[in-house]
Amino acid sequence: MTAPDDSYKKEFDAQLTRRVLRYVQPYLRLVIGGILLALLISLASPVFALIQRHAIDSFLTPLALQRAGNLDALYRGLTFTALLYAGLKVLQFGLQYAFALAIGYLGQNVLRDIRADVFSKLQRLQLAYFDQNPVGRLITRVTSDVDAINQFITNGLVSLIQSTFIIVVYVVIMLSVNWRLALISFTVLPVLYFSTNFFRTKLRDAFRDTRTQQATVNSKLNENITGMLTVQLFGRERRSALDFDHSNRALLTANENSVHWFSLFMPVVAVLGQVAVALILYFASRQILGVSVDADGALQTGVVAGAITVGTLFAFIQLSQQLFQPIQDLADVFNTLQAAMASSERIFGVLDTEEEIADKPDAKTLPNFEGQVDFEQVWFSYDQTVTAETPDSDSRWILRGIDLHIQPGESVALVGATGAGKTSVTALVSRFYDVQRGAVKVDGVNVRDLAQHDLRKHVGVVLQDVFLFAGTIESNLTLNNAEIPHERVVEACKYVGVHDYILSLDHGYQTEVRERGATLSTGQKQLLAFARALIQNPDILLVLDEATANVDTETELRIQQALVKVMYGRTSIIIAHRLSTIEHCDRIVVMRKGLVVEQGSHRELLEHGGYYARLHRLQYSQADAAD
Amino acid sequence: MDSLRTLWPYLKMHQRQYVIGMVLVIFANSINLLPFYFIRLVIDGLTGARDGNPGTPGITLGQAGWYALGIVAAAAAAGVLMLYMRRLIVVASRQTEYEIRRDIFAHLQGLDKPYYDRASTGDLMNRLTGDLSAVRETLGFGAWQIVNIVSGFLTSFAVMFSLSWQLTLIVLAVVPIIVGVLTYLARLINVRHRLAQEQSSKIAGKAQENFSGARVVKGYAIEDREISEYRAMNLELLRRNIALTKVDGPLRSFMSLLLGLAFALILLVGGRLILNSNGAFTVGMFVQFVGTLERLTFPMLMIGWITGVTQRGLASWLRLRELYDARAQVQDVPGRTDTSVRVLDGDLRFENVSMDYGSREVLRNIDLHVPAGTFLGITGPTGSGKTVLGQLITRSMDPSSGVVRMDGHDLHVIPLKALHDAVAVVPQEPFLFGDSIANNIAFGVEKQELPVVKTGVSVVGAPLPPNIPQMPDPERVRNAARLAGLLEDIEGFPEGFETLLGERGVTLSGGQRQRTAIARAIVREPAILILDDSLSAVDTETERKILDGLREVSAGRTVILIAHRVSTLRHADKIVVLEEGRVTEQGSHDELLELNGHYAELERLQRLASDLDEDDDAISDPEEAANRLAARREAIRDAQATQTQTRQEVLK
Ligand SMILES: Nc1ncnc2c1ncn2[C@@H]1O[C@H](COP(=O)(O)OP(=O)(O)OP(=O)(O)O)[C@@H](O)[C@H]1O
Ligand SMILES: Nc1ncnc2c1ncn2[C@@H]1O[C@H](COP(=O)(O)OP(=O)(O)OP(=O)(O)O)[C@@H](O)[C@H]1O
Ligand SMILES: [Mg+2]
Ligand SMILES: [Mg+2]
Repeated sequence: MTAPDDSYKKEFDAQLTRRVLRYVQPYLRLVIGGILLALLISLASPVFALIQRHAIDSFLTPLALQRAGNLDALYRGLTFTALLYAGLKVLQFGLQYAFALAIGYLGQNVLRDIRADVFSKLQRLQLAYFDQNPVGRLITRVTSDVDAINQFITNGLVSLIQSTFIIVVYVVIMLSVNWRLALISFTVLPVLYFSTNFFRTKLRDAFRDTRTQQATVNSKLNENITGMLTVQLFGRERRSALDFDHSNRALLTANENSVHWFSLFMPVVAVLGQVAVALILYFASRQILGVSVDADGALQTGVVAGAITVGTLFAFIQLSQQLFQPIQDLADVFNTLQAAMASSERIFGVLDTEEEIADKPDAKTLPNFEGQVDFEQVWFSYDQTVTAETPDSDSRWILRGIDLHIQPGESVALVGATGAGKTSVTALVSRFYDVQRGAVKVDGVNVRDLAQHDLRKHVGVVLQDVFLFAGTIESNLTLNNAEIPHERVVEACKYVGVHDYILSLDHGYQTEVRERGATLSTGQKQLLAFARALIQNPDILLVLDEATANVDTETELRIQQALVKVMYGRTSIIIAHRLSTIEHCDRIVVMRKGLVVEQGSHRELLEHGGYYARLHRLQYSQADAAD
Repeated sequence: MDSLRTLWPYLKMHQRQYVIGMVLVIFANSINLLPFYFIRLVIDGLTGARDGNPGTPGITLGQAGWYALGIVAAAAAAGVLMLYMRRLIVVASRQTEYEIRRDIFAHLQGLDKPYYDRASTGDLMNRLTGDLSAVRETLGFGAWQIVNIVSGFLTSFAVMFSLSWQLTLIVLAVVPIIVGVLTYLARLINVRHRLAQEQSSKIAGKAQENFSGARVVKGYAIEDREISEYRAMNLELLRRNIALTKVDGPLRSFMSLLLGLAFALILLVGGRLILNSNGAFTVGMFVQFVGTLERLTFPMLMIGWITGVTQRGLASWLRLRELYDARAQVQDVPGRTDTSVRVLDGDLRFENVSMDYGSREVLRNIDLHVPAGTFLGITGPTGSGKTVLGQLITRSMDPSSGVVRMDGHDLHVIPLKALHDAVAVVPQEPFLFGDSIANNIAFGVEKQELPVVKTGVSVVGAPLPPNIPQMPDPERVRNAARLAGLLEDIEGFPEGFETLLGERGVTLSGGQRQRTAIARAIVREPAILILDDSLSAVDTETERKILDGLREVSAGRTVILIAHRVSTLRHADKIVVLEEGRVTEQGSHDELLELNGHYAELERLQRLASDLDEDDDAISDPEEAANRLAARREAIRDAQATQTQTRQEVLK
């Protein structure tokens, strides 16, 4: 789901800009080179109009012939000018190409650096962050938000610099050629600037609206496609279609609105351009024709030599048109800035997210892992607003003072009503979340003091929900670790009894896994996840969370047999509702509403006659009682 | 061309907009030639001496003023035309985009499980976003640009030719070169753009996988490997983007270079013409010529571009066509479907049903009768075909052979809607939506018939879709939650029924998710309720509660319960054992125990530990028990193999 982001616009923020610029720093040479090139380009650009002016005035007007008198000299001059023009064009192209490359390198490198930083950061963020943020939103961070920053650097900053250069150079040149005509042609520019600014702002808003609507449409599409079979089974097609049609319509309206503004904007700019031409034409004619009002108030006409030439007129038309682009760019810079500010705020928001679960500077590792696990008065809630001070009676507590001590090599089963907090307990062993009160210790060391990577390498978890990645069966088992030999994969698959099935597939271990394993039965997927855990962790603390809940009894028994061998001397925590799965465990811990209520061996618990005994009776003996 | 034919129905809906828009483009293009004509008149007036005396200008200031006004007026007129053109054509393309999206969405709603098993969400999304945009671009931008280019070239060349045929010849020689080079560049850009785009979606796909599988990534501490893979892909993206920049970045300056060279040439030749022609070819005409040529910059740039856009657009349209062409096996067929079937009681019959996936036989010759109101249990090893059997009842797919009947009707003739209204399923892996719990439970109840979104019609003038009535009926939802044993949990949540679930329901415990799915099914009060291993994640006590709840609602309903635990199944009216896709045992709990087959073995195995106290030698060794089950399976497989062989021999 791509939930629309809250803001697309943010005022200029010096601190954010400084942080963005820090990404530019490593490429300072490119930046300096780019600025120099921009300067050269701005200096070169007006030259062409001046050459044209020279050509017209010196060779093409009827006066020229009179002045030179010699046709050959004119021809020579003409050829020379044409060649010069062509040569300079080549030079200009070279400069522009170099500039484009410099900026491209700069932008792409910065883009890459930011993207890598965001991704790496997300890898370090705690699981709770992923619980709270839809995947679609996280993806936006590494895609379009990063792009907006690239825009900011390549379009925003660069065009700010380049446009300023060009404008300064043009203004100076035009003023020096003919200041009166220059001032007249400048009159259009403020209008251009403000109307561009006006329209661009409107367009930005319209585009923003479009993007929001597009995001809604996309997220609905995505949800409908992934959940389509559910939608169909529940006869929801019409409602979904109507709902989608609403969003689709909203998108259309937003699009039409964008077209509305855009269709106004383009002609306005075009007309302004021609107004500038008309103004220059008229006032140049006026100067050339030497109109002045004499003492009698009568109009005097007559060509005034030297006042202004046709070449100048032509050059001015060219120059004023060439000024349009930089002015427009400048008018747009702020919009780009605002968009980039909003995006960089979101990106830095991710980068600044506190790593609530971070390694301490002196994080320990456990080279000789024993497998002792201790929960000491653990209080835990998924809600991050819950703190150690929150009263005991608060309904948000999930675990309420768990005391649990597991010896190395012991196998412990967790049973209890659904929602009692069993999965949560195992999540704490791997330190997916931090506890609010008390401590979780592994081998006597608080998990907060351990390096996460090291801790998790020792813990093999088979999760309650199987997740398969896009790829082959084998890559899902090895998790793309090239060092794992195929033999180990096969061995593990034999242990869990899925080897024969895999071989019966057309491409064996190289069979492509369909999205979320669509062509596998649920039990088969669970077996794969089980095999994955065995393959990943040769020496482990094994956590099995309902790992065989959907597997038939025979296979389960086989796995248990295999586990006896695999797990010899290792600690294991096993969660199961099917009591037959866990009866052989050394110790059974019964949980209820976030508390440990009973513990002991199977037999002790039966004798105790508590919750476990009742569960057991329900599962096995009740039939006898009822019959 | 074929793509045009299939696109035609959509174009036809907006025929008027497209045609008028294109006519406007042609007019605008012609009018746009006027400003340079006026400039020429002024310049010639200023330089030209009509009376032979170069000192006297051939124009008055008043005339110059009129020409200047003419320029503005022409630009304004062309601007207005272009404005209306955009509002006609570009809007039409947006409307077409809407219509295509609406129609494909409706079509996707009709596709079945076999289709979605093969499809990838990412691919479908790509088509509905990227490809759809490409088609729209072709229709909107492409359509008027093509007219713009053609009419621009025609009118400009007419003017240029009238000014000077010699110069026009030069242009005619040069323009093809320019266009050729640009087209070549555009093609390069297209290719590199596609490569960059592909890498871009790859890298986004990687992120998507990584984020959705965060639990696995963290659980196995493979973050570093993920980061280095991501970095490698990132670097490749950088490379491809820079390769793109190399051809794309300088496109405009390249254009300006080519035109500059052409200008130099024209200056050279045109200059001589002016000097030699004795006033037949003037500076003004030269300026007009150059200006008119310059107006072709954009169209020339666009030729290469537009070929790319249209190629992309047509290719994209083909990919979209594939979606339209995808046919569901499972669908209502006029003539076969019997629309008179509305209400179903839930009497089920499998007649010699087999199901194959490729060469894999999943179900084989199933014969089964489930009278309405029966509570049927199904059990069997992993991969034995239980889920597939259940899916045949909802007609998620059709069997390879044999007939499934409900109330005596072949499922093929029952309208899908009637079928789906009659059957409610709790899938083995329920899909929950990132919505409130209440909305998730009420997902399948509809109080009133909602209108269908019309497809294949123009959106112009179509009324807005009606508002969607609010759904949850709090009492019903609450009751369903109670029956599913979920009420207590929900009431324990600070926000109760309004608790928002994470994507796919990740913030619920496994058992809570399963029970939400059960409540979602129960609330529909279906004639047939299918629970596919839906009690696997709940404890025995809750299971008991749910089964009691089920019994409460199941009066008069058919319930099909797939499970591995004997304790779950034992109260079923009838239990079916599936092994290797065949029904090997059926009967009540007691009957099956007496039969002393798979089910009895299962019961003994599962009772194993509870019998630890007693000395039951027969099964004290679980491995041996498992072996016994396996031996059975081997035997079944052998029997099947011989049967297949015999059949093949018979066929020969
Ligand atoms: N990621 C999460 N964010 C917020 N709340 C959660 C999350 N995961 C679980 N919970 C809540 O915590 C409580 C305990 O859940 P947990 O998954 O530990 O139960 P469980 O004992 O494993 O149950 P089950 O047997 O159903 O799997 C539940 O009420 C659940 O709604
Ligand atoms: N769409 C499909 N394409 C190909 N093979 C499939 C498809 N769906 C199921 N299968 C195969 O059919 C067999 C039966 O699958 P099914 O899901 O019915 O098993 P099951 O009895 O429900 O098993 P479990 O107890 O694990 O849920 C399996 O081997 C599975 O891989
Ligand atoms: Mg759990
Ligand atoms: Mg199944």
